[in-house]
Amino acid sequence: MIHLLKIEWLKVKNYKAFWVFTILYFFAILGINYTGFYVNELSVENLPQAQLLLGSPYAFPKVWQTVGFMSSWLLYFPGILFIMLLTNEFNFKTHRQNIIDGWTRMQFVSVKFVFAILFAVAATFFNFLVALLFGSLTTGSSFGFEGMENVGYIFIQTVAYITFAMFLAVLFRRSGAAIAVFFLYGLIFEFIFTMLINHKFDLSPVGYFLPLQVTDVMLPIPFGNKIIYDHAPDMWVLVVASLVYICGYFFFAMKKFTTDDL
Amino acid sequence: MPILTIENLSKSYGKIDALKKVSFSVPEGSVFGILGPNGSGKTTMLGTIMDILKPTSGTYKLFDEVPTELHRRRIGTLLETPNFYHYLSGVKNLEIAAEIKQHGKEDISRVLDMVDLTKRKDSKFSTYSLGMKQRLAIASCLLGNPKVLVFDEPTNGLDPVGIAEIRDLMKRLYSEGKTIIMASHLLDEVEKVCTHVAILRKGELITSGNVNEILSNEDMVEVGAKDGEKLIEVLQKMPNQTRVAKEGGTIKVFYPVGTADLEAINNFCFSNDIILNHLILKKKSLEARFFELTNN
Repeated sequence: MIHLLKIEWLKVKNYKAFWVFTILYFFAILGINYTGFYVNELSVENLPQAQLLLGSPYAFPKVWQTVGFMSSWLLYFPGILFIMLLTNEFNFKTHRQNIIDGWTRMQFVSVKFVFAILFAVAATFFNFLVALLFGSLTTGSSFGFEGMENVGYIFIQTVAYITFAMFLAVLFRRSGAAIAVFFLYGLIFEFIFTMLINHKFDLSPVGYFLPLQVTDVMLPIPFGNKIIYDHAPDMWVLVVASLVYICGYFFFAMKKFTTDDL
Repeated sequence: MPILTIENLSKSYGKIDALKKVSFSVPEGSVFGILGPNGSGKTTMLGTIMDILKPTSGTYKLFDEVPTELHRRRIGTLLETPNFYHYLSGVKNLEIAAEIKQHGKEDISRVLDMVDLTKRKDSKFSTYSLGMKQRLAIASCLLGNPKVLVFDEPTNGLDPVGIAEIRDLMKRLYSEGKTIIMASHLLDEVEKVCTHVAILRKGELITSGNVNEILSNEDMVEVGAKDGEKLIEVLQKMPNQTRVAKEGGTIKVFYPVGTADLEAINNFCFSNDIILNHLILKKKSLEARFFELTNN
């Protein structure tokens, strides 16, 4: 697998779009959290009562969840990036050439998923650093391990978004179609489906188990103490469900790639 | 040992049969041409043996063994189009190919030199002309000096000089004892370099074997005299000939391969009071033979 990853690395090392996307994504994580941090400070400064309503989202231990929630809006970035990495192969027909040159079909798929997981590790670590930064900048807050399970949820959510995007890329093979479906589904349709299932048909919490929603529920909106997701299932159930989805994407991609004509 | 053995290979796309029970084998050290018009199944067949298409039925062997990715690494293959990462330079693309094949890294500058791309090796693939892309693909095939090469339309997109260079390269590779499997619809390409040939039409194998046996199955002699009618009459009495025909203005007499004897024809006609004003041995052109084979 190390050798396969080395080849994957050769593919992206000199791919400018990959680095531009990655750096933009990391800056955006910093930026969106800085914005949240700043707006929160400003609100509390101008209107001290606001703290009652908002809580202290950027203080330890809440900061782990806050950073996870804020950054989750940016997960479309790495999603698009991995759609591009896969559809590039289809466009250039290099997925064929890799097999012709001596990879197995299975190797082609597995190294892409392992690479995605490594990317998620890096992104999660960066989120950890950002949380550490803003937690430390918040006055009257001191570092603690409490709430750090949220870092784990960030990782699972990142993997889930990226692998969902890869699943779409393998399914549609065209970047335009995969990206459009990814956005439309993630931002609009899934929200509608969740609403319909949970409220219109009163099947709560079934609506929380949609592919991306299930990871969103792990990191709920941190401002205030209001319960956003009523009837939310236990955390371990959400984790298991997310892992089931991730494995599902992998096995679908593997199945499709190993049995179809390329 | 046969390099490639295909047995009853079929491939269909829905109702369309791209390959119908094709069987043949490629002997070691041959230049094996796979000939056929556009859409006859050449690329489908090569794609199947490279595991990028799944056969509907039938089997194939590489190096007389059940094929795996390890066999593919020992074959340099150019299939249909040059497939490279557009955003990487020629040399970076070859590095990836060499890593996957797990050999040939030390070979990169040599193969770039062979296809005359050394000067442009650091330019992005997307800036290459069609001919340069094709030459990079051929360079990639040559990485690690494999014993077997598979070329699908290798002279696609090349100018006349490039085409001649590739032909020379193939002859050189052949003289080094390599086995070359080449698909083409360009007839003179095959005629000039191949030792063996398989002809496909609409997914069916029409014939396969030694190129001389397949492409010329009879000798043809063109003859002419003042009195054409009488000439035909006389020729029909001649021993050994298989048939006499008048096509257009010329009279043709046919013999089994290698048996036409111009002197004997001249002599026979002369002793029958005919003086020939035209006598020439013509090997049937590959083109004519090809149309004959693929047109019914």
